[in-house]
Amino acid sequence: MKRKKQPYSIMTLLTFAIAVVSISFTLLISAILYSQFSSRIKENATVSTREIVRQVNANLSYYTNDILTIATYARDLAKQTNILPREEIENRLRSIVDSRQDIVCLVLFDLGGETLLSTSDAPRRPTEEILGQTWFTRAIGGEGNFYFTGPHVQQLFTSSYPWVITYSQQISYTNKQGELSQGLLLIDMNSWAVSELCQSAKLGSSGYVYFIDNNGKIVYHPYQQLINSNLFNEDIESVQEHIFGTFTNTFEGRERLVIIDTVNNARWRIVGVAYMDELMAGLDQYTTVMLIILAFCIITTILIARTVSAYISRPIKELERLMNSVERGDFSSPPTVGGNQEVAALSQTFAAMVQRIRQLMDDIVKSQEMKRKFELDALQAKINPHFLYNTLDSVVWMAEQNDTSGVITMVTALARLFRISISKGRDIITLGEELEHVRNYLIIQQIRYRDKFQFSIDMEPGVENLPTIKLIVQPIVENAIYHGIKYLQEMGHLDIKVFKKKPGAVIIEIRDNGVGMDEQRLNTILTMSSPSQKNGEGIGVRNVHQRIQLYYGSDYGLEISSELDVGTLVRLVIPEQDPIQPIKVAH
Amino acid sequence: MKRTILLLLIPLLLLSGCSRNQQDTNTPYRIAVITMMQGGEFWGALKNGARSARLATGAVLEFFAPVNESDYSGQIAFVEEAIAQEFDAIILSPSHHTQLEHVVGKARSAGIKVVFADTGLLQEEPDFLITADYQMIGKHVAEHAFSHFSEDEPINALIIGSLPNTTSMTALIGSLETAFHQRENARINSVAYSFSSEVLAHDTAVRAIKADPSINLIFALEEYTAHGVAAALSPDPKIHFIAFGNTQHEIQLLEAEVIDALVVVNSFNLGYRSVLAAVELLEGKRPVQKLVDFALVTKESMFSEEHQHILFQTFQ
Repeated sequence: MKRKKQPYSIMTLLTFAIAVVSISFTLLISAILYSQFSSRIKENATVSTREIVRQVNANLSYYTNDILTIATYARDLAKQTNILPREEIENRLRSIVDSRQDIVCLVLFDLGGETLLSTSDAPRRPTEEILGQTWFTRAIGGEGNFYFTGPHVQQLFTSSYPWVITYSQQISYTNKQGELSQGLLLIDMNSWAVSELCQSAKLGSSGYVYFIDNNGKIVYHPYQQLINSNLFNEDIESVQEHIFGTFTNTFEGRERLVIIDTVNNARWRIVGVAYMDELMAGLDQYTTVMLIILAFCIITTILIARTVSAYISRPIKELERLMNSVERGDFSSPPTVGGNQEVAALSQTFAAMVQRIRQLMDDIVKSQEMKRKFELDALQAKINPHFLYNTLDSVVWMAEQNDTSGVITMVTALARLFRISISKGRDIITLGEELEHVRNYLIIQQIRYRDKFQFSIDMEPGVENLPTIKLIVQPIVENAIYHGIKYLQEMGHLDIKVFKKKPGAVIIEIRDNGVGMDEQRLNTILTMSSPSQKNGEGIGVRNVHQRIQLYYGSDYGLEISSELDVGTLVRLVIPEQDPIQPIKVAH
Repeated sequence: MKRTILLLLIPLLLLSGCSRNQQDTNTPYRIAVITMMQGGEFWGALKNGARSARLATGAVLEFFAPVNESDYSGQIAFVEEAIAQEFDAIILSPSHHTQLEHVVGKARSAGIKVVFADTGLLQEEPDFLITADYQMIGKHVAEHAFSHFSEDEPINALIIGSLPNTTSMTALIGSLETAFHQRENARINSVAYSFSSEVLAHDTAVRAIKADPSINLIFALEEYTAHGVAAALSPDPKIHFIAFGNTQHEIQLLEAEVIDALVVVNSFNLGYRSVLAAVELLEGKRPVQKLVDFALVTKESMFSEEHQHILFQTFQ
């Protein structure tokens, strides 16, 4: 069976709505910022890398210019061999070489490979070995051409194997005959001079700069030893394809930014390689911080959304709580809550409704009380017809017997009886008045039953003016006469005593020596509609009990004890209240 | 309220967590590199290779080596020290194939990764071994040596190795012996060891040549041994000399045709790859098995582009 979906609370809906809108905007802004920032970082990284490569290129250009300057000076000196002695020229050149650690030697050869000038005194290799070397063959071809080799082991002098980069140029020199002749100038530079230029360039943490010649052959590479050992590969192919400029590619699993530039004075190209993951490392940090801030914003947004929705829904929940309280019957607290305008208006309307309900309930209570009063009045009214009928029957009987004094006594007592019964419509009279009423009743009954019983009324001093609901003793007395004393052969006795009993009670005790009651009857006499009751027996007693309890509560009422052929004791228990004034009735 | 504070603290905790992780990641591995001896071009190039790998991996390297190549007890002490200092890995070239087994086992038990460079141990397996194919080198060198002789010319060889109890030397000599065994008229007259002592090598060569004038081929399987043997040789064109190493003196001897060929094992490669392997092992990866390259250089090929870089690599 499909369960009906539980509707969401207003707080949940509000939280969700605020959170979704806020988080959507936050994510959108974050995405835009990230996009802008990443493109800016990439752009800056490219510019920065290009600038570093350009700087290395500039440094290399300065360096080659220096070499060219030295070459120019050497070329000029070579033309002065007819003026200056060879030792003088070599000393001038040696002073230059000695002042620079990067230059290994400077030699001038004739085109046959013989040494004309040299800054080194080391034994030279055979001429045939020199003639075949690349730096020699490549520079030959026309005056002015110069050539830079890549790093190689010098093969000029025996027993010496420095790694050098060789500058070679065909030049004119003055021969021994004083004529200009063609020769070849060589300047060997330590290869570390170039490597130092490149190593100073930092492209990220593992980027580097290297040089290739116009054939795509590596002239210098910082990882040359690794390349030689096949521990490192260089992507020459891509560099050859691009010739010049900037491009990015992925080589051996890493994205690289490659910048290519041409080197002045040498037929080399400089290649800068930077790894994108290193260049964009700042972006990673930014991304981390941004993600944390984003998480913080999202959590904060949810909390704020929750707080706001709680602020909005709290009065509604409070109103709901009050409604539940009212539903349970608690009208004590005023059903008004604060909060926003709409809820306040709703609360006021509900308060008015509760007020109206409370008023209606008060009306119902009042009407119920009225109804109860009417019932009391009806119970009281039940006594009167019995009594009036019996009394008038006795008066008629005495009148038929011409018992004038008896009639007078009886009618007088009846009049007094009614005077107290009426009591100006009041329900509460003094105990003195109640017992006066009973005395008149007993006088009437004593006449009617021709002195079949005697009675006594004993009232404790101080209880005369204590209040009681009226006509509560007479029905008991009537019952004692009709159902107890009436069946006696001997003289009946009926004694009434009124006294206080602590705490706060007044006892009206009616004792007779009538036939009494068995236990079963005793147990049922105060219950309603008992089937064992017949001839209205006990109705008056039960009425009195109900009236006392209706008026004073269930702690009060009648206590009856009886024994067959011994008699009955009825005790009326009412609360002790402040004395009242007896009713002044005009005689 | 407490829950609110807790939720607000979560990103801060994440931030601190990230910082801590980053710091942990940046803690470099400490690797002890224990070679056979302090000097020597071979070990110098190995250390250069290791240093290059340090730049690539960020590992911190500390180099240890006894003064003499035969001092295996010195090596044992260095391994003990590396264990005590709680290095993450040890790169070791054991100078004795049995004496270091116990201490290597102890290092591995302590959780230290052990990479053997160039030579190994007989029983104790390392976490990784990087070496050259000395069997192949022996075969190749023998073939080159035989090329100096005509088919029916008898060959009487003297082999002087450095240390008798290293796996690489054993493999190399074994391979030479096999090659000689397979060629008619070729025999190894004597196998001796110099313990990397130039003097001992010289004396051994002098004695051997004097004792057996038929010796016409000498193998010096280590650079100091080659120096000693070269000093013992008079300008006698009938004795061919093949040496291992690439010291400047050896190169000069090659140019002077005292040495017919130089065998250069790329110890730079050995050092570089040993460090890479150690770091890979520490990162839980399995390094790729690949033999270290070598070159047989003659006077004719010494300045070729191919051989220049390996022969003169220590001059760069």
